[in-house]
Amino acid sequence: MRRLRILILCCLFAWPPLAQADMVLVANPQSGIERLNRDDVVNIFMGRYRLLASGITAEPIDLADDTGLRARFYRALVNKSLAEINAYWARLVFSGKTRPPRVLDSVDAALQAVISNPGALAYLERSQIDKNVRVVFELGD
Amino acid sequence: MLGKIISLILLTALCIGKLNAQTGDASQTFNIRGFGTVGLARSSSDHAEFVRDLSQTSGLKGGQWSGRIDSILGLQGNWQLSKEFELVGQVVSRLHYDRSHNPELMWAFAKWEPDARLSLRAGRIGADFMMLADSRLVGYSYLPARPSSDFFGPLFFSHFDGVDLSMTLPVGDDLVRGKLFAGRTQEKAGGVIGLWDTSGSPLGGIVLDYLTGPWQFRANAARIRFSSDMNITFLTNPLRLTGVPSAIAVADALTIKDTETRYYSFGVVYDQGPLQVQGMLNRIRHGTSFFANSHAGYLLAGYRFGSVTPFAGVSWWKTQARSFAAGFPDVERFTASGLTDRKTLSLGARWDLRTNMALKFQWDAVRGDAASKFGYARTDEAWNGKTNVLSIVLDFVF
Repeated sequence: MRRLRILILCCLFAWPPLAQADMVLVANPQSGIERLNRDDVVNIFMGRYRLLASGITAEPIDLADDTGLRARFYRALVNKSLAEINAYWARLVFSGKTRPPRVLDSVDAALQAVISNPGALAYLERSQIDKNVRVVFELGD
Repeated sequence: MLGKIISLILLTALCIGKLNAQTGDASQTFNIRGFGTVGLARSSSDHAEFVRDLSQTSGLKGGQWSGRIDSILGLQGNWQLSKEFELVGQVVSRLHYDRSHNPELMWAFAKWEPDARLSLRAGRIGADFMMLADSRLVGYSYLPARPSSDFFGPLFFSHFDGVDLSMTLPVGDDLVRGKLFAGRTQEKAGGVIGLWDTSGSPLGGIVLDYLTGPWQFRANAARIRFSSDMNITFLTNPLRLTGVPSAIAVADALTIKDTETRYYSFGVVYDQGPLQVQGMLNRIRHGTSFFANSHAGYLLAGYRFGSVTPFAGVSWWKTQARSFAAGFPDVERFTASGLTDRKTLSLGARWDLRTNMALKFQWDAVRGDAASKFGYARTDEAWNGKTNVLSIVLDFVF
């Protein structure tokens, strides 16, 4: 019985969504946006509608797959695997409809892009937040 | 004419590109991407050639494995000149009406997006006659081995030269999107009676989308006025030569030139986490009696388990026979080759074996009656309307 409990605890901590730190979406303080809801974030990152309430066009930023954050972000946002997200974008890109988010290699590059661009939005771990950006959505929302 | 327009656009892009390169404009990007399918499939019947759609004039039969109908390679260049302006070109190699795989210019358009609500495209663009119709060749983007042949089979138009205008508006947390398109076709189809060049036929349509949470609803209506006839003088000339009014009326009814065909479709997609469900219906109404009116539909559902997504689908396609005045057996016999009443059960699985690559296995049980001849490249007298299609395809994007 004790072995079973240990096994269950190990599984719980090994399960990424429960064990990993929470993620947030950050924006430039000049974006005019205080908060976004889940539908807004889905619309922006899935290329459905990218006009912010402040009138600025949102420019979502994806992180490279090897950061591990991209997979966690889409899993938390729409419960989709990266293969499904890539398939979704294949449909939109190759029918010439919408551009996917710009891909940057690192969290630092994403933070710099948000700091220098009022419309940029990037996801990262809460512990990686910079004082020059504003949290507009928490993935637990 | 189109070639000149494209050359002009590319030249302009080159000039602007040089200008931006000199000024170090970081908003300008150029990407080359691609997609493709290496597919093998076999159809069990010896008496009909199974095809993806009517653009293919030769297909699968006799249980022979072939890569002919599903193998595709596409290359696309996107040149983002500024936040508002983009040039897109796409070349695709696929099985053509002439049985070649010669590269074809699929898209070549300029896109202007003054803000996130509005998009205007001009040039050669995708024919959005039915939901997902403009991504039919991108196998990696969907679950099954190929789009339903029952549903998309009659649609041999992939692109047109013209314009489309899209507008997206929020309604509470939902979105409404409308699109208008108009232009002229530049495509040819082939068949047992030879080549049919529809180039220059004017078309237009409207698309309405409603997106709410995991749901997407779409209604399409499109029409095309054919500017040329098929070569069926062997059928109509003898009728006209009789001088009999009823025979001349039948010949007139078979004329395609200057008649209008209308396409209506309605689709629903539910996409929530690992579950995907799609259902679509279409109706096609022809102004000419040469083609039979038809309706079709499909329902497809898949559920992802890790990297594997099993799926199941049903589809159907039924035409309505035209009634001609009695006494024209040749006409009756000929137009009978344009009839079908078939249903398909599909089972399969998609395995996302690595990034940007998916392997699919699929079994289709096509069940119709012996009179279901339309939608195949050709059938013979022994055709009983039934065949089983097995497919293994590898889809990729890069």
